Amino acid sequence: MEIYLPIAEQSMNVFVLLGLGAAAGLLAGMFGVGGGFLATPLLIFVGIPPAVAVASQANQVIANSVSSLQVHWRRGNVDLRMGLVLLLGGAVGSSAGVWLFTYLKRIGQIDFVIAVLYVILLSTIGLLMLAESLSTYVKRRRNPESPRGKLHTHYLVHRLPLKLRFYKSKLYISALLPVGLGFLIGILSAILGVGGGFVLVPAMIYLLGMPTAVVIGTSNFQILFVAANVTFLQATTNGTVDVVLALLLILGGVVGAPIGSRLAAKLPGVVLRGLMAVLILAVAAELLTELLRTPSSPFSLGTREVPP
Amino acid sequence: MKRLLIALVAGLAWAGSAHAQGPRIEPPPAGLPPSVPTESATPDLIVDLSRARVSITSAFQGESILMFGMFDPPGEVVVVVVGPEARETVMRKQRFLGLWLNTGRQSFDDVPAYYAIAASQPLQRLLARGAGGEILSLEDRMSTIKPVGPRAATELAQFRGGLLEVKRREGLYPAAIGQVTVQAGRLFRVDLPFPSRLPEGVYEVKAYLLREGKIVAAVSRPLPVGKVGFSAQLAGWASHEGALYGLGAIVMALFAGWLGGAIMRRL
Repeated sequence: MEIYLPIAEQSMNVFVLLGLGAAAGLLAGMFGVGGGFLATPLLIFVGIPPAVAVASQANQVIANSVSSLQVHWRRGNVDLRMGLVLLLGGAVGSSAGVWLFTYLKRIGQIDFVIAVLYVILLSTIGLLMLAESLSTYVKRRRNPESPRGKLHTHYLVHRLPLKLRFYKSKLYISALLPVGLGFLIGILSAILGVGGGFVLVPAMIYLLGMPTAVVIGTSNFQILFVAANVTFLQATTNGTVDVVLALLLILGGVVGAPIGSRLAAKLPGVVLRGLMAVLILAVAAELLTELLRTPSSPFSLGTREVPP
Repeated sequence: MKRLLIALVAGLAWAGSAHAQGPRIEPPPAGLPPSVPTESATPDLIVDLSRARVSITSAFQGESILMFGMFDPPGEVVVVVVGPEARETVMRKQRFLGLWLNTGRQSFDDVPAYYAIAASQPLQRLLARGAGGEILSLEDRMSTIKPVGPRAATELAQFRGGLLEVKRREGLYPAAIGQVTVQAGRLFRVDLPFPSRLPEGVYEVKAYLLREGKIVAAVSRPLPVGKVGFSAQLAGWASHEGALYGLGAIVMALFAGWLGGAIMRRL
């Protein structure tokens, strides 16, 4: 069944889009991170213009993070203070990101930048995850009950000025750190159409040293507002948010997420992370091949400008 | 003036048709003086389209529109469809450090969104006999688009070729010259294919009757192409009320996410 997407201005199979949403939801359910970093490249593979894919994906991220935030808010797993500080950076970063996106779109380089950033990001994350799950697997086999390490270590970053106390996270760190982190995630969010959870969550654990229990809830808090900001700015400056596309992805996600969380409960975490790493690396490889392969035609058209 | 008269008469002849469309042509006053040249009183060329407009709905997948009509033999029929003109920017990729990226760009003004031409005889032969001027083959039409900014002629030719290539690939400049089929020496029909990625605007479908390589009659029909229904509304909001549309998109996602979360927890 085909459906015409009013902003992407093309028809597309409904089930392909629902399936993509479900796949992203599956990942979200399994790992607690939004599947945006896989859904956006997949949307581009099926032929959605990158600019529309990114902006509509940001719209989908809102739905994803709100349903996750619901659960964590009720359990009290949101460090509101940390969330707001992150958001301060996130709001500025995502606004700057949309501006950069608009500029790159105008000079005709946005597709290239999106592809290159995804290749870098996905291959880094994929390799890290693969290495981590392989080493854990090897360690577990040797020593099944390895003791947990220290909560977090202190680095140079803990000596920056503007220190704030974050009670829920049991932290006393410089506000500059979460602001800077929020800023970077905001830029990423605007250009790549991702929530950024897959970068934000490890950064909050390893860089800020937050306790794992509050990390997911707090990151979802920041992601929700950053994604809303990106959606709004993309809609007003580029007009590339396709709500029909976003809604189909959301619907697919609603189906995929519970399946994902059930799968996650059944399969051991190491195997899950290993599988995920392979999947991420496969997408990165496909994107890279697209960049390296001689195109069937060197020509493409930019946006049509109708005279007033 | 002569063409207008023919169109007028054609409009009158087809006023009763259920498919009559385009700007309504008022029938001439009842007692039209017989001083009008006889060739127009019995029109040389009358045409109609199978549809009054191309409606881009949420199920739109491209459409084929039939133009049909009748002409006074002898003669040959040529049909030209031109989409609205706009500025198009062609981008060219080159290999840079092993990666393919856009390195050159060139804009052109007055580029028709769509261009198709169909004829009842090989077009070259028809045009060679001097009908040119008004009827342009795709290649001739492409040579009239205006480049924005200065550039070497060879480079311009490359970009112009690139534009043609992309438009062809998208089905907006159908490559093969369409065939106008003639039956019983005077009835003709031609299928006009429109792809799914079709720019909006008012297209012009023009039929010409040629005799001895000269245009003796021409009838033009506007063909509006636009989104209708839900997709039209959404696209309209997105382009005119960006802020409202953005807020709507956020509210939609918030609600859908909340609802999805609520349902998920019940399962």
